[in-house]
Amino acid sequence: MRLLSRVAERLYWMARYMERAEDTARLTHAYTHLVMDIPEGTDLGWDSLVNILEGEAVFEQRYRAYNEQNVLSFLIADEDHPGSIRQTIQAARENVRTTRDVLPEEIWEHVNELYLYTQECAEKSVGRRNRHHFLEQVIARCQIISGLAITTMCRDNTFRFMALGHMVERADMTTRILDVGAGALLEEGRHNPTVDPLIWGALLKSVSAMSTYKRQVGPLTEGASVVEFLLKEATLPRSVAFCLNSIRAEIGKLQNPKPALGKLERARRRLARFDPESATPAELHKFIDRTQLDITDLHDSISASWFLPTEQ
Amino acid sequence: MNKSWKSYKTGAFFDELITDAGSPRLAARRAVNMLQSLSKGEMAARRAAAETAIHEMGISFTIYSEGKNIDRAWPFDIIPRIIPGKDWAKVSLGLAQRTRALNCFIDDIYNQQKILKDGIVPAETVLESGNYKPQCAGISPRYGAWAHVCGTDLVRDKDGKFYVLEDNLRVPSGVSYMLENREITKRVLPELFENYSIQPVDDYPSHLYRTLASLSPRERRRPCIVVLTPGIYNSAYFEHSYLAREMGAELVEGSDLFVDDNDCLYMHTVDGPERVDVVYRRIDDDFLDPEVFREDSVLGVPGIMRAWKAGNVAIANAPGAGVADDKVVYAFVPAMIRYYLNEKPLINSVKTYLCMNEKDRDYVLNNLDKLVVKPANESGGYGLMVGPHATKAKRAQFAKLIEKDPRNYIAQPTLSLSTAPTYIEDSVEPRHLDLRPFILSGKETWVTPGGLTRVAMTKGSLVVNSSQGGGSKDTWIVEGSK
Repeated sequence: MRLLSRVAERLYWMARYMERAEDTARLTHAYTHLVMDIPEGTDLGWDSLVNILEGEAVFEQRYRAYNEQNVLSFLIADEDHPGSIRQTIQAARENVRTTRDVLPEEIWEHVNELYLYTQECAEKSVGRRNRHHFLEQVIARCQIISGLAITTMCRDNTFRFMALGHMVERADMTTRILDVGAGALLEEGRHNPTVDPLIWGALLKSVSAMSTYKRQVGPLTEGASVVEFLLKEATLPRSVAFCLNSIRAEIGKLQNPKPALGKLERARRRLARFDPESATPAELHKFIDRTQLDITDLHDSISASWFLPTEQ
Repeated sequence: MNKSWKSYKTGAFFDELITDAGSPRLAARRAVNMLQSLSKGEMAARRAAAETAIHEMGISFTIYSEGKNIDRAWPFDIIPRIIPGKDWAKVSLGLAQRTRALNCFIDDIYNQQKILKDGIVPAETVLESGNYKPQCAGISPRYGAWAHVCGTDLVRDKDGKFYVLEDNLRVPSGVSYMLENREITKRVLPELFENYSIQPVDDYPSHLYRTLASLSPRERRRPCIVVLTPGIYNSAYFEHSYLAREMGAELVEGSDLFVDDNDCLYMHTVDGPERVDVVYRRIDDDFLDPEVFREDSVLGVPGIMRAWKAGNVAIANAPGAGVADDKVVYAFVPAMIRYYLNEKPLINSVKTYLCMNEKDRDYVLNNLDKLVVKPANESGGYGLMVGPHATKAKRAQFAKLIEKDPRNYIAQPTLSLSTAPTYIEDSVEPRHLDLRPFILSGKETWVTPGGLTRVAMTKGSLVVNSSQGGGSKDTWIVEGSK
């Protein structure tokens, strides 16, 4: 099946935005629970949630203080923040609207419904009372759409570019989630036996991996083993290793895969070399930064290889 | 019987379903009886079901208002319009004949210009028209077909006869609504279909595909066909997307295409460039190729005219086909039919006064209250004046416009557009309508059975365009109406 470059690009971005919305909802959900659990006086600020999503610049233009109300409003409902759940869903919908002719009809219907839902409910879900339900709805509805794609679409290029979008975005978001942990360790500058397991547990929950972790690794949520699990466990669908392997498999089926494969292998080699057990929090943070740059390079390469040349 | 039908008055017009005596016409009898048996509540429920179907199927059109684009649900009336097959057969032949003559005319204008030299059509009316594209001179597309998809607007006058109101040869739209209207009627009034043999319309996309495929410059089993759209903000985007999907063609925008140094047209795909054989374009000539027409066009494809002239790609409708889509040229179509085909026109045209002729102009200026005045080059019902309904000020304004630019205006007698029972709020009332069949010309000519019926939903109004509050109806051509 032939696929227009422009359509491929829109499908890829549709998937990235859907994944971003879901992962932002997951992260926000886990983080707000964490904040409720943590003993008073522990300095786990709302600013780190904005920092790991790289929203500081936009945030500081719009708000004065990093408090719960402002940060949640920024991440859930802000119409001027392109990364808010509401805006990412809108961006996903715009991309589906212009690619409807290559997608199963139900995908458009569900994306459109999700859009209408976020338009209606985002604003009033910033407060604690409705927030929980809203975030769960966003996650569940995103899952319905992914499920539809997986169970109804041919494994052709149309599906492939959506899969690429999901995996690139998810790999990036998983590193950001880990950065929450690294950040907490760095800020404290010391080991905190009461708080640390809570933080790492919350991170595992945000990727729905808590029970899997307990069965596979053990009941204790310790920094190094959680990092190892979320980075390297090749069977865990939200681990960085899993995402990179999936990207490799999809790219391998496209024409002219060499440039993107090169970038991908660099990221995989960096991941293989990294040892969470011996790394200091500062080294973990640095590794995450480098990996995020690898993912950006990979995206640029995908874009240059298969999407519309911007200007000839 | 639902009493909303009892008070139905046909008035001084031809009614499609009801005779002057107030009884259903032969072909419509069973349908009208069935509809009359529905209670008010049931009728309302059917209409609600239609609205839900339209919403679910995402049938919409875009209108431009106050600088914003608004996606509106497609306005639809559930009572179908019914035309006996034997009446339609004649109309269909007339339309095919007319389109053949129009294609001969366009081909002649861009080549020998015999009809101008023979003085049948005054040369200046054609060559000075904005729709004449000198860049197209010397080209002869396959089968002499320029207007591959023609949307001809028909009306029925008091006498019950069909008249051609205008021919749309550039990028006529509306066919997807014709198809969806049938789909909706099947869903919400399935009982109506039980006792009828109705000519199907849903094979339109395959006829369109065959017409387009017959134009392919390369002999291939499945030529590469694309639908070129100006994009999501165009009022007919829904239709572009619909037709692409139904034909299994690619829906492309200008930026998806490029022309190489060998004058071949390609599209960018993830597997690299792929050669395109046929472009079903839904953008106007002026925006088609910035190398040749408007330089500032970002919708078109630089070099596409080179590729077309070199014979490496077919464009439907062919650039320049709009030269026959001109309300002044319209007046000469019966003469063209005699000139090129040596046949008698099988379908009537409306008497047309050309303001460029002094005699006609005097008549028009003295009879503005009786005539419909139209600019020669607008479509969509913009800029026209219906004399009997216009204010004095409006008539004076048009008198000035005509004197300033007579070439750009024509006038026609106000026709008594036919009516059909239309479901308004909770009663059935007559509303005026027209009909747009679509005629396909490639290797063969094909006419849709029926077409898109558009209804002026406002009482007494004659303006049926959806951009101006018009609605639509399913149109049935029925066989063996005994």
